[in-house]
Amino acid sequence: MNPQPKIIAFCCNWCSYAAADLAGISRLQYPGSIRIIRVMCSGMVHPEMVLHALNRGADGVMIIGCPLGECHYIKGNEMALARSEVIADTLEDQGFESERFQVAWVSSAEPERLAEIFREMSGRLAALRGAAQVETVAGD
Amino acid sequence: MRPRLSFEWLHACSGCEIALLNSGELLLGLLDRVEIVHFPLLMDHKYTTRAGGEGELNLPEAEIGVVSGGVASEEHLVVLRAMRASCRTLVSLGTCATHGGIPALRNQWPIAAALKTVYAGSEGGTAIPDTILASLDRVYSIDEKVPVDFSLPGCPPRPESIIELLEAMLAGEPFHPPCKSVCETCPTIRTGKGQQKVRRFLANAEYNPEKAVDEMRCLLEQGLLCMGPVTAGGCGGKDAPLCIRARVPCRGCFGPVRQGGNQLLDMLNALASNGMGHRDIVDRRSLLRFSGAHGLLKPLRERK
Repeated sequence: MNPQPKIIAFCCNWCSYAAADLAGISRLQYPGSIRIIRVMCSGMVHPEMVLHALNRGADGVMIIGCPLGECHYIKGNEMALARSEVIADTLEDQGFESERFQVAWVSSAEPERLAEIFREMSGRLAALRGAAQVETVAGD
Repeated sequence: MRPRLSFEWLHACSGCEIALLNSGELLLGLLDRVEIVHFPLLMDHKYTTRAGGEGELNLPEAEIGVVSGGVASEEHLVVLRAMRASCRTLVSLGTCATHGGIPALRNQWPIAAALKTVYAGSEGGTAIPDTILASLDRVYSIDEKVPVDFSLPGCPPRPESIIELLEAMLAGEPFHPPCKSVCETCPTIRTGKGQQKVRRFLANAEYNPEKAVDEMRCLLEQGLLCMGPVTAGGCGGKDAPLCIRARVPCRGCFGPVRQGGNQLLDMLNALASNGMGHRDIVDRRSLLRFSGAHGLLKPLRERK
């Protein structure tokens, strides 16, 4: 098993992807197991895409968009927010812990915050994995 | 020799077979040109095994095999495999066969819990009979167990569609099952502005019974939980969908619009993206009431 949990991060083209870009240029450290997928808007990420990623073996999925009220497409991230409620509600129904999904808003000028969110998510998933391992050991 | 037809039912209610018999004169036209070799609802037929009771189940050879119902027990599995082995082409008929159907609602609980609930004995004990069939861990659609050539969902499928499918197969022509949603075949009036709150199925729609269906407001816009957007259409043929004709919301019985779709997720997503209260739904997992196979409905994990 990989030491670091694999995380798929859907970043919007206008804010969070630019922040990730800036984080790279600024040489900020965050776990290397994060896979960033650039989308034009966080509002275009269908819940099925999130579930598909988890079903195919991702440890966690993040949707990161512009700060609320600053969407390039006026209301795209509000739709992402509504959809993220649906995702959080249904993940448990589908057999995944709700911690495996996170939605966040990061502006293009906040690379430190983005790196911090990535680190937190990675740590949370590692803890989740640790808990699962402890459970298996106890089950034996 | 006429082409041979073989029918079999698994975890089913016989509704699909009744739908076939309901197709009226179309059925008579079909019967003249085929030979039915196996049809438990209509014909007496012994189930035999090859050579002395041992080995696999022996079903008559046929060009076309039609199976309704999902796979819930070891016996269903044996019959289904025998059907696959004896039929050149296999059709899954009805939503139970294609998506699990109503019986797959059981997949919400582990099999032990389901049996305990159904066969609850007195004084808190259980009374599971010894003769009960060996249940599988969950209810499967038949394409999860054997390869299927054609699928026709519906609860039951539209009688004319069953005949169309069989006629197309006899003629060697391709058959295209409906690939549009119920909404695309629905004539009700949509304005794009609807209620924010979602009411339950039980609530009545507002309409004028004197007027035709196409003068009624879209039920989803009236705030009724209509599963039209995420359900495969075709139940009403070229006319309005059946439930809409009866002025009640779509229940989702034709399964997801495309194979592999998730009606629960898609419906909540459709509500959320249009600003409707997806959290008003009391029992959201029941949105998978017709498509709980393929691992979509599963027991909730126990959190520590």
